[in-house]
Amino acid sequence: MAEPLIVVEELHRHYVVGGETVRALDGVSFTIERGEWVAIVGQSGSGKSTLMNLLGCLDTPSAGVYRLNGSDVEGLADDQLADLRNREIGFVFQTFQLLPRASAVQNVELPLVYRGVPRRERRARAEAALRAVGLANRMTHRPNELSGGQRQRVAIARALVGEPSILLADEPTGNLDSATGEEIIRLFSELHQRGHTIILVTHEPRLAARCPRAIRLSDGRVVGDGPGAEVAALSGARAVHA
Amino acid sequence: MNAFLDTLAMAFGTLRGNVLRSMLTLLGIVIGACTVVAMMSLTEGLRLKMTSDFAMLGAGAFQVQKWPHMNFGPIDWRKYERRPPLTREQGEALRSLPHVKFVSIEEYPTGDGGAVVLSTPERATRREISIGGVLPDYEPANGVTVGQGRFISTTDVLLGRRVTFVGTDVVDVLFPKMDPIGREVRIRGVPFEIIGVSVKQGSIFGQSKDSWAVVPWTAYEVAFGRNRNNNIAIQATSAEDLPLAMDEVVAALRRLRGLGPQDENDFELFSNDTSAEMFDNLARMVGAATFGVCALALLVGGIGVMNIMLVSVTERTREIGVRMALGARRGRILMQFLLESITLSGLGGLVGVLVGAGLALGARAVFDVPASIPAWAVILSLASACGAGLLFGIYPAARASKLDPVEAMRIE
Repeated sequence: MAEPLIVVEELHRHYVVGGETVRALDGVSFTIERGEWVAIVGQSGSGKSTLMNLLGCLDTPSAGVYRLNGSDVEGLADDQLADLRNREIGFVFQTFQLLPRASAVQNVELPLVYRGVPRRERRARAEAALRAVGLANRMTHRPNELSGGQRQRVAIARALVGEPSILLADEPTGNLDSATGEEIIRLFSELHQRGHTIILVTHEPRLAARCPRAIRLSDGRVVGDGPGAEVAALSGARAVHA
Repeated sequence: MNAFLDTLAMAFGTLRGNVLRSMLTLLGIVIGACTVVAMMSLTEGLRLKMTSDFAMLGAGAFQVQKWPHMNFGPIDWRKYERRPPLTREQGEALRSLPHVKFVSIEEYPTGDGGAVVLSTPERATRREISIGGVLPDYEPANGVTVGQGRFISTTDVLLGRRVTFVGTDVVDVLFPKMDPIGREVRIRGVPFEIIGVSVKQGSIFGQSKDSWAVVPWTAYEVAFGRNRNNNIAIQATSAEDLPLAMDEVVAALRRLRGLGPQDENDFELFSNDTSAEMFDNLARMVGAATFGVCALALLVGGIGVMNIMLVSVTERTREIGVRMALGARRGRILMQFLLESITLSGLGGLVGVLVGAGLALGARAVFDVPASIPAWAVILSLASACGAGLLFGIYPAARASKLDPVEAMRIE
């Protein structure tokens, strides 16, 4: 059997703050297979943001192993990390993180710009990605001309356009009203059915419960890993070691 | 190349959003480029004009006088005032020198440039006309071209005839649409007959070069009194003989004026070459001053660019973080901000060049100043503007490229 898409073994991330070492991640291990939809859930301070930064290759671990799509991430140089992010990761952020002065299609193109895809091809791919998220008629709108839900769809199109191995979403519904949030979750569900691997980082157990699988973090450790509904039901305060 | 074009397009996109702020910050660079182009255009125009003017004086011609011909900077007039006059006898003695062909001894009203109003019973010249008492040699030695009639002859001089040869301004005003030859004109109340008119020489700095009249020196002295000091214009036997003729004249005059071996010359010599040399010195000084102004303006402009780029980096911290998260390498961010900085200051340079060229051409049209825009000044201005953008863009760009994407995206 092929190696899982993501292999994390004994991952540590320590920060030194005011002379004290903070163990944001304290020995985390799990694997994620291609095509899975996994929630990473935990309260603030549980280490889920740190884990997300590591999984997204925005940060490197203090110790441990992170293998993404067969290549070791720890110890990579900045430029290699940038290339890895560009190829393997599609980010969806809570605050959308669109470039305000660029149109929807220009925003979506951006990962392809950094991949060196020729102008015409990347325009076509960006337009296809926007159509895929239901924004065929909003291509040239700027972010401030779009609703919150539309902005997040643009961000999702941008995450998908480069055909990455993982869609990494950080509280994607956090800035949306519940109806719009529901639309976005349904979109993720669709993407999952089409075979995309999705990692959804959230503090909401309700959201985690909708995912086929959830990993619960507390104090930098994994305290639960199983079907979303079960793990979401666990209380973060009472650490139950898996 | 593709990456470069994409980055350039991004740079233009962000500049468009902040046109006013960009232009204000760029003022220094605009002024720098504008100064270089305007000053260099004027000096270049002047140089071209001078060259053609001097050329008119004729190859192998030079002048001797008590007073310096051109001077830049402070000058001790009394030193020149005290010099003994250049006499007619001294001038005549130069005729025997082996490499001297013509000697034009010219007498002018006291000082240099004393000028009078010429009149007929009906009209008078509006501006003052410079008047001189001369010999027939004036014509070849000063490169005069006869347009109408004839120049003053030896007989005119010998007989002290009251005849005059004039520049076009005189006849244009006094005898419009009339044949001026043989007509009478009053110079300081004394009647003279016009025997010839020069061809038109045009103007420089709004000053006409055709406002003059000459009369036989014998008639001049009778009519206006004697001025012992003379200007002497000399034509060498050929252009190649000019240095020889000048050496001979210096030696002869030193002897005639009783100068000892240690004394410096108490007269001034200048030819096309010495005038051109003087002008080149002036042009160099103007060039150096312009360079100073320009360097200062570029420095100020460069600091402005650095400032605006630092503001831009701060304002766009999130954007930089997002770009990095999406896979922009640090070098790519560096290049983007450097290109923005260069584009910004290059635009400033372009505006400066256009304004400078406009000023130069405007000055030419309005004040009759010669101006010619040298291509090298345009290129130099644009290049140094872009150079300033590059230099002063390095720090902000480096700062942008060193941001941590996670931290950067967290900034509100």
